[in-house]
Amino acid sequence: MCAAMVAERAEAPAAAKAASSQPVVVVEGLNHYYGEGEARNQVLFDNRIEIPAGQLVVMTGPSGAGKTTLLTLIGALRSRQEGRIQVLGRDLSRLGGGGLVEVRRDIGFIFQMHNLFEALSAYENVKMAAQLGDMPAAEMRQRGCGILERLGLGHRIDYKPRHLSGGERQRVAIGRALVNQPRLVLADEPTAALDKDSTINVIKLLKQQTVEHGAAVMMVTHDHRIIDSADRLVHMVDGRIMSDVVLHDALRICEFLRPIELFKALTPRQLTDVAERMTKRHFADGETIIREGEPGEEFFLISEGEVDVIRADHEVARLGPGDFFGEVALISGEPRNATVVAIGELDTYVLGKTDFQTALATSQSFRDQLYRVYFMRH
Amino acid sequence: MSVAPSPQRHRPGLAAGLQPKSVPLAWRNLLANKPRLFRSASGIGFSVLLMLMQLGFEQAFFDSSLEVIRGLDGDILVQSIHKYQFATRDPFPRAVLDTAGKVPGVTSVRPLYVDWFDFFWKNPFDGKVFLVRAFGFDPDQPVFSFPEVNANREKLKDANTVLIDRRARRFLGMDRDPAEAELNDSKVKIAGSFALGPDFQSDGTVIMSDRTFASLLRGPAGNLSEVDLGVIEVSSGEDVAAVRQALSKALPNTVAIFTKPQLIEFERKFQADVSSAGPIFWMGTIVGFVVGMLISYQVTYTDLADQLPQYATLKAIGYRTGYLLRVVLEQAACNALAGWVPAWLVSIVLYYFIGRLALLPLRMSVNVTLVSLGLTVGMCLISAVFAVKRVIQADPAEVF
Repeated sequence: MCAAMVAERAEAPAAAKAASSQPVVVVEGLNHYYGEGEARNQVLFDNRIEIPAGQLVVMTGPSGAGKTTLLTLIGALRSRQEGRIQVLGRDLSRLGGGGLVEVRRDIGFIFQMHNLFEALSAYENVKMAAQLGDMPAAEMRQRGCGILERLGLGHRIDYKPRHLSGGERQRVAIGRALVNQPRLVLADEPTAALDKDSTINVIKLLKQQTVEHGAAVMMVTHDHRIIDSADRLVHMVDGRIMSDVVLHDALRICEFLRPIELFKALTPRQLTDVAERMTKRHFADGETIIREGEPGEEFFLISEGEVDVIRADHEVARLGPGDFFGEVALISGEPRNATVVAIGELDTYVLGKTDFQTALATSQSFRDQLYRVYFMRH
Repeated sequence: MSVAPSPQRHRPGLAAGLQPKSVPLAWRNLLANKPRLFRSASGIGFSVLLMLMQLGFEQAFFDSSLEVIRGLDGDILVQSIHKYQFATRDPFPRAVLDTAGKVPGVTSVRPLYVDWFDFFWKNPFDGKVFLVRAFGFDPDQPVFSFPEVNANREKLKDANTVLIDRRARRFLGMDRDPAEAELNDSKVKIAGSFALGPDFQSDGTVIMSDRTFASLLRGPAGNLSEVDLGVIEVSSGEDVAAVRQALSKALPNTVAIFTKPQLIEFERKFQADVSSAGPIFWMGTIVGFVVGMLISYQVTYTDLADQLPQYATLKAIGYRTGYLLRVVLEQAACNALAGWVPAWLVSIVLYYFIGRLALLPLRMSVNVTLVSLGLTVGMCLISAVFAVKRVIQADPAEVF
């Protein structure tokens, strides 16, 4: 049996923090096809996604939406055809077969099927991944046993898979994926075979990887218990990323939108839809956000910082967190009636014209509110 | 912005599996399923047994035909240049040996008379007549190193007195210690016996004096002017190769001069390459090899098919094809050993009983051991190379 749990590295949080500003995965203009000639079928369409360190990303979508294909492309398990994929700082399009293998060694894979060797014990199955690294034998043992103990398998370390339940086998497979503390974990329905307690345990462990080691976790799942713990939700339909929402920001946006008179009539679902369509944008001190006389294309909600609203060279208002601007030109179709300038560093949430008008069409009361605000300002 | 690549890690190469920190996957796979191991060891062992039988028979065949040459007490042997195998009658003039005796470094030159086709032995117990091999030599000039023959040399000086082979085939009746028998219709007195055994060309052997040999073969007036083999002893301290060289110069080119090991090799080469026996045994060995390959292929292929997702997973997490190939080959080699060891043990028992039954010198030699082991490992590795294609082609993306 194993000794203690894995000793956490003191420098891990620092390393995680340092790495957190750099994306672990960058996908740009990714297209992918199956088949050849007339049978050639496009399954991914111009997908873009950037995943920073320390984020637990959950991918959802109907069967055949391209989630697994995207996952296998990011995991260097398939050859890229069109577009750019950068994983852990390495551009996959520049790598040959050997280079792709090297990339895969730095990724933790959790498959839907555990695929454990029946001839090996739980620990030995985990060790198969651990021995790919450069750990000394003693550390390998300590880390392999430690991860199994954290997965609730401390008493099953020397058991062969045939003596483990389905959930226990899947947890061994998860241990195999995490034993090297990878900076990127790709998982396909990792909790499908797990009971409630095991699922919570696994989610805690994955979350721990993101917080303590700065790992990015990208998983395909329909398990709501995991979705609740996700930092970000990516929804795919027909080979396209239809929405990509950082949940923390969405909640914050909803908190901001809810007290505003303009959005009070929206149902929670409608409010969430609006929030999901908003993207974060940063402005430097003194930067002009919108200019009087220009056509209106976006609606702004202030997250952090302040702005001056200037009309005919006179400051007419100062807006702070929770305030919004830019809606009038979107409703009327007229040019901007004021200039807005950032006072200090400014973070905003931005909604595009099309999405704004979609939201407008969604709710009669929302539209009425907008028109009332519009006419009140005039 | 991008994340800096991870520092280069030590990657396990082909030798990594030998390190104690690596999981012995091949060994674990082999032992994981005992009934399957038993089945594969039985199948491979059966083919190994086929090969061991063929290799054993071949060796026994060679050994039995070489037993007499090994038993000759001489350093250099002279025979007719036209004699292409030991068991052919092709005499040369005895005068040649007189010349040989004068070559420096030669201590003694002794003639040996041999016949395979003209001596008829009548079984003293049932009266049946069989062809036997006959050797004739001067009792005062012994040519054999068989102790029992030399011990009875004086008795052979009596006319029509012979020594018989008690390991001859039983139907000759030589093993029943007869006192008298008939050879070429003449009564002969049996002065003793020796243990030589039959080979694939003669069922038994009779040894006698050169005079008895000539008398029984050619009648009372038979002469000894032509000999079949000259057995030459080199003086102590003399270089055998140098004396052989000197003999080559001194003797006519109607004779061939061999050192004893050279004549053994000459005879072995004829049996292996010219006679039909060598190819027959090798064909039998090849059949065993092919059967073993098919069995081994089936064993390996089934095992790989069962574990294809596991091997694809290994590829997905970063193992190279070379590692997978090594694991499969290691497992095939283990399977080979698992089949070879019991087959080797069983064949030792079979050699003993068949050797006794067929009166052949069937014994497990280092040569047969190593050749059979090499063939067994080879057949398993070749079949594994064919079977492993499936693992190499496994798509790691399919495990998702």
